[in-house]
Amino acid sequence: MAEKRRSGVSMAEPKSAKADSEEEFLSQLGVAALLRGSLLKLVEARPEDPIGFLADHFANLASGSEAADCGDGEPSRTVQDRLSQALWHLNLAHHSQRSAFNNNVRVAYELLMTGGQHLRPGGGVRGRIYTELLRSLCSEAGLSSSTSAPLLRRIQCQDHEAVPFELFRQGVLICTVFADYVRKSQSLYLAVSGGSELPAQRALCQAALGALRDALDTAQCADTARYLEASAKIAPCTLAQAMASAQSSYEAQAGTSMDPEEFEKEAAALFIARVQPVS
Amino acid sequence: MTDSAVACTVKSPVALQIGDVKSDTSRPGVYVIDVTFPQGQLVKIQDVSFKNYYTAFLTVRLQMKGSASQEGSVKWVTCLRNHRLMPNPHTEEGSQDYFSVYRHQMLLLPDNVTAARLILRQPSSSWLNFTLEEIKIHQCVNDDSEREVPVWFSELTPVDQVPDLQGLPDPQAVASSIQQMWALTEVMQTSQTAVPIGRFDVDGCYDVNLLSYT
Repeated sequence: MAEKRRSGVSMAEPKSAKADSEEEFLSQLGVAALLRGSLLKLVEARPEDPIGFLADHFANLASGSEAADCGDGEPSRTVQDRLSQALWHLNLAHHSQRSAFNNNVRVAYELLMTGGQHLRPGGGVRGRIYTELLRSLCSEAGLSSSTSAPLLRRIQCQDHEAVPFELFRQGVLICTVFADYVRKSQSLYLAVSGGSELPAQRALCQAALGALRDALDTAQCADTARYLEASAKIAPCTLAQAMASAQSSYEAQAGTSMDPEEFEKEAAALFIARVQPVS
Repeated sequence: MTDSAVACTVKSPVALQIGDVKSDTSRPGVYVIDVTFPQGQLVKIQDVSFKNYYTAFLTVRLQMKGSASQEGSVKWVTCLRNHRLMPNPHTEEGSQDYFSVYRHQMLLLPDNVTAARLILRQPSSSWLNFTLEEIKIHQCVNDDSEREVPVWFSELTPVDQVPDLQGLPDPQAVASSIQQMWALTEVMQTSQTAVPIGRFDVDGCYDVNLLSYT
């Protein structure tokens, strides 16, 4: 309603002053900054669907400004809205793009922290919202709930707890890294099965997972020594030898295979075992 | 590589002069610095390092414990005789340089040393004072060349020994996936900050003192 009235006013202005009023109009709205911000975000995120991305971006901005206009009192946006906005922000940058990812986490944190009048005493995101966010992150990344359940059990928070920023960032990072990890384990299974339709041999799978476990269990010493030792354990020649010996020793039991779900579960267990539970 | 400087007591220089030190107007030309090791420690000297201050010649005498057959015999031997520190005693060259005297430069191998005496000579009268500073004696450390090689080092497969690959999955592909999984786990582990959420914190209600009064 307000916009229609505003456009009516501008049309009533005399034509001779139209050029000036256009520039003033644009600078009044701060359109330059708006467009610049949206283009920067676009370049940072590099989505496959730029128009959809820009649409989402402006929709978020619109709902953000609506909340500001409504003033305090009842939360103008539901928790679900804020969650989906936060998820959209978190999906903009891959976790390997460290600074962009951290910025997005900060934005998402601040989005979820606005609880209207009822600010948490400790300061932070409500545990229920945090857990919901982690669960959505995992499911959006394509992980089944059975795969992500053990991880969530370790890092989720109680409904009433206040999650500080460091913990929030850590949880989000762990979920995104875990999603990548599971995808990698699926491609590992494909590699072990040799790309064939048949399920992979159990002995070979266990040799591969055993090598990974060995590398992860490398003794805690200076970083460089640890990396060298771990990389020696998962070098191609070492793996070739391990697989050759696994195959030869299990030749009598040829035929036992491991299906992809079991492989994924075992690989995920290796990762989850090293996640520190929240306390 | 890591020389260990032996803790030693360096006494202040003593002038060797004919006549009374205090009343004599001429400046001394010879100083003696005694260096002793604590608690009769026997030292195997790797090198003696110091900073020169206008000393022209240095003689090093070491008190060495005799061989085990002659128990309790200590003798003084000269290990370095008139070692020139300044090419020209009247000029500045070498006057404030850092020097190290190694065991292979010495006349006798300095093993089982109980004390050292540094005799400084400066024949030139142009300098008001001369001494040695920052005297450090380093002892031989154990030979590190046979440091243990890590176990995994000897288990590396030589590149030319390609194992029999029939029917096996491509090790490059398998290795690359495992390496990426390992790297992702490492990222996760290094990013863990152990920030507590305070789930198990109590607010003081369970202090032992309070409980005992209920």
